[in-house]
Amino acid sequence: MAPKYKLTYFDVRARGEPTRLLFAAAGVEYEDVRITFDQWPAHKDSTPMGVLPILEVDGITLSQSMSIARFIARETGLDGKTRLERAQADAFVDELEELIPKMAGVVVFAKDEKDKEEKSKELDKLIAERLGKCEKLSGSDGHLVGNSLLWCDLVLFNIAHNIEEVYKAGTMQDYPKLTKVCDTVKANPRIAKWMAERPAGMFDF
Amino acid sequence: MPSIKYTYFDGRGLGEVNRVMLAAGGMKYEDVRLHESKWAGMKSATPMGELPLLEVDGTTICQSNSIARYIAREAGLAGKTSIDQAKVDMIMEGARSLFDKAAQIFILPEAEKAVRKKKLEEKEAPELLEYLNKLASGKGYFVGDQLTAADVALYVNYESVGSLTIALPSLDKYPNLKKVAENVKANPGIAKWLKERPVTTY
Repeated sequence: MAPKYKLTYFDVRARGEPTRLLFAAAGVEYEDVRITFDQWPAHKDSTPMGVLPILEVDGITLSQSMSIARFIARETGLDGKTRLERAQADAFVDELEELIPKMAGVVVFAKDEKDKEEKSKELDKLIAERLGKCEKLSGSDGHLVGNSLLWCDLVLFNIAHNIEEVYKAGTMQDYPKLTKVCDTVKANPRIAKWMAERPAGMFDF
Repeated sequence: MPSIKYTYFDGRGLGEVNRVMLAAGGMKYEDVRLHESKWAGMKSATPMGELPLLEVDGTTICQSNSIARYIAREAGLAGKTSIDQAKVDMIMEGARSLFDKAAQIFILPEAEKAVRKKKLEEKEAPELLEYLNKLASGKGYFVGDQLTAADVALYVNYESVGSLTIALPSLDKYPNLKKVAENVKANPGIAKWLKERPVTTY
């Protein structure tokens, strides 16, 4: 029997990875479709808003990476324990979300060294601003909100991994509570297994 | 009955979707409008140094989109099933992106501003509105056949972008979206709010 969920994205982590991390954490099977840039133009008009990722479930196609992630978080019980907790988890995601496209602008799409340098300056400011705010608000026991793994922890982890492993190692040491959240995610056996097995992707982002 | 206090600047901007939804849900709240001069003193006491804020029974929620989703759930405008909620979410993101693109233009230097404004008016907005028009039904609802936060988000963001002096294509070009706007305006709570709300420049 085919899995209930089909996720389509490019062969990278970026905006699709929080949802993949959620499926992994929850132990839920899904079809992890990765398309190339060449294949994309033919797909574009059949998507709800002309962008990826999309998630197909029960004959319905969802778009917008964070709406998809929130949906899967809800399906798997990783969105928050109370109504207010869900809103607090949402707020962290809203604050962090922009870091992925801004980082992509530097590590993937920079036109030349000068462009990269200028964009890095802006990115550093944005990282300091966003992670600074999240550090202030984060729980101290390895979770952003409440006392259990929620999707916002996975969204943070995806970003922090790229910051440390791809962009600028050593950045996260300024954010001890957030580092603790990420360590908690990394120590989760299902997440660790996914990270060991996941495709390398067409580039490391 | 929870006590609700909503704080934003004295304008519509990215804070208005929440006020309109509170009105649609018939939810009583304190509509605090902060003068810019008062903001600096308050900023560091807020969760993330930004407005709007929603205070509910002693908990403060920030991030306009998270507040919107919370109010939508409380007001019964979020969508009936989990997947309907996801559809409402994605439309809200799409509609909001129109506002975000417009707002970003205003902090650009003059030369760049004109170029980006033209690109938004002639390419990005028509393309997005076209996608959104296909996603709305002929009856004027994005999800199911009753008002959700998706419909409210389309109407309020479209209206707010217009008041940022961006010349968006008329909704006459997008018949389903035009119906969405009509449905939003016809909701009794919203109609009352639109009539009574303070008039502001943005």
